[in-house]
Amino acid sequence: MMIHDILAQLTQVVALGKINKNTPLPADMLGQDGASELAFRALEQGITPQAILNDGLLPGMSIIGEKFSRGEAFIANMLISAQAMNAAMEHLKPYFASGEIKSTGTLVLGTVQGDLHDIGKNLVKMILKGDGWEVIDLGTNVSSEAFLNAISSHSDAIVGLSALLTTTMLNMGEVTETLKKHNPETRVYIGGAPVSQSFCQEIGADGYFRDPHSFAKSLRLD
Amino acid sequence: MPTKHEPDFANMIQVLSRQIPSRPTLFEFGLNDRLLGVLSGEASEDPSSRLGPLRRILKAFHAAGYDYATVSGFRTNTLSFPKGVIEEQKSKSLNAGSMITDRLGFEKYAWPDPNIGDYDLYYDLKDELPAGMKLIASGNGGLLENAIDLVGFETLSLMTLLDEGLTTDIFDAIGSRLLRFYEIVAAIDTVGACIINDDWGFKNQTMFSPEMLRRWIFPWHKKMVATIHNSGKFAILHSCGQLRDVMDDVIHDMNFDAKHSFEDQITPVETAYSLWGDKIAILGGIDMDFLARKPLDLIQARSLQILEKGMVKGGYALGSGNSIPDYIPDENYFAMISARDKYLNNP
Repeated sequence: MMIHDILAQLTQVVALGKINKNTPLPADMLGQDGASELAFRALEQGITPQAILNDGLLPGMSIIGEKFSRGEAFIANMLISAQAMNAAMEHLKPYFASGEIKSTGTLVLGTVQGDLHDIGKNLVKMILKGDGWEVIDLGTNVSSEAFLNAISSHSDAIVGLSALLTTTMLNMGEVTETLKKHNPETRVYIGGAPVSQSFCQEIGADGYFRDPHSFAKSLRLD
Repeated sequence: MPTKHEPDFANMIQVLSRQIPSRPTLFEFGLNDRLLGVLSGEASEDPSSRLGPLRRILKAFHAAGYDYATVSGFRTNTLSFPKGVIEEQKSKSLNAGSMITDRLGFEKYAWPDPNIGDYDLYYDLKDELPAGMKLIASGNGGLLENAIDLVGFETLSLMTLLDEGLTTDIFDAIGSRLLRFYEIVAAIDTVGACIINDDWGFKNQTMFSPEMLRRWIFPWHKKMVATIHNSGKFAILHSCGQLRDVMDDVIHDMNFDAKHSFEDQITPVETAYSLWGDKIAILGGIDMDFLARKPLDLIQARSLQILEKGMVKGGYALGSGNSIPDYIPDENYFAMISARDKYLNNP
């Protein structure tokens, strides 16, 4: 199989969420190789890990992210695509450890204090990882201090704040202020159901995005 | 404190029938405990009395000028689906507390009997209901909500794609029990309408694809609405999030009489009323963030504006986008419902 073919197939199976041979979808690909088998085979054929990531896996996540952004795909599709990508990444792990594959950047991510919602945050994590970012997920109910600690040990990282509630989104202002006081250069991005562009400006954050894919897209342009 | 209005559920019926009520009508799903105390004059619930907590709710809704009081399933010790441990502060994770992640979990789960519960309580409130008032009964969570609680959102999402048989069994197990719950409560004469409460949307879209909802969720809702209608009662859908792509299903397939829960960031109630108000009654809708943070005069002005439209076109009752949690100042809530008096003084 040509290099181009196997990478194109990887893109396709990630976008479709075919994790491995046993994944029962899509129905017309029953029994065919999924992301895990194809990634393994690509390495065997001597394709570089960076090429597998950049030209096979990431475009697959980009396809599903764009569909999600347009309302043509749903969280279930994103989750299954992320699982397919993760299955392929298992084969690439050693190359990350050795430094042979470089990440796009580092995102420190968390849902702000008082808020335990994690679906939106997890979607951002999936999409950004799928765009080559290293994501440090601080989880939910994260205090300003915890964000600050994470930034202290990753000085070049950007920060993503999530909230679902009118009450908890107000804590985004406090986190932003704390981080900017520590380092005015730290870029802070916000998202979540009650959040808006005007709220973003009000608290001095660097950007607001309605969905994770437009966030990833904007970061690519930076 | 609001001006006292004598209740008359006929107004609510007119709203739910998309008619113009004889006077402006209020709708609220729930009031926070502090507000219940202020309105009822009882600072806290009487835990020693079986009817005490509900009597306090009736008093509060009556004092505020509603034509009914809402009685949630969780207050009546009727159908509920036991959950795992869910850490809950101001919010909870949709992935928390999952108990059913595979076939074995489904088989081992102690599925509740919907026939068991204190349904007598709805009857016993008959003597407590002020003349003209009815109860509006809601369940202890909806079909999708309970499935998410039992399975976890992300696990359920993957299950819908990878194990359709188990997905069907889970939704059928929950849906059939909720159907029985509504069959029982809708037949009780103190109950004038039912709220089927089931959140389906996020900010940008439905939580699951419309195809998935049509396959597993909507058929049960259609049956629940039909059973409520069979008892001559009205069915109100309380569902949060972006439902634009399934509103035709809500109206034409499931046949709901009214829709509740609106957010300015998604579809402002004014937009919803002009889009769908001639096909389904629109309830509440004053955005929660607006209600929590805007000045009193703006709250009253916006409330009056939508109320005035409703009194021309019909099928509208004034209220919040969701409910009145404790972070909404009491005076902001009173500013919203004072639009009714303002209208009555200058119709």
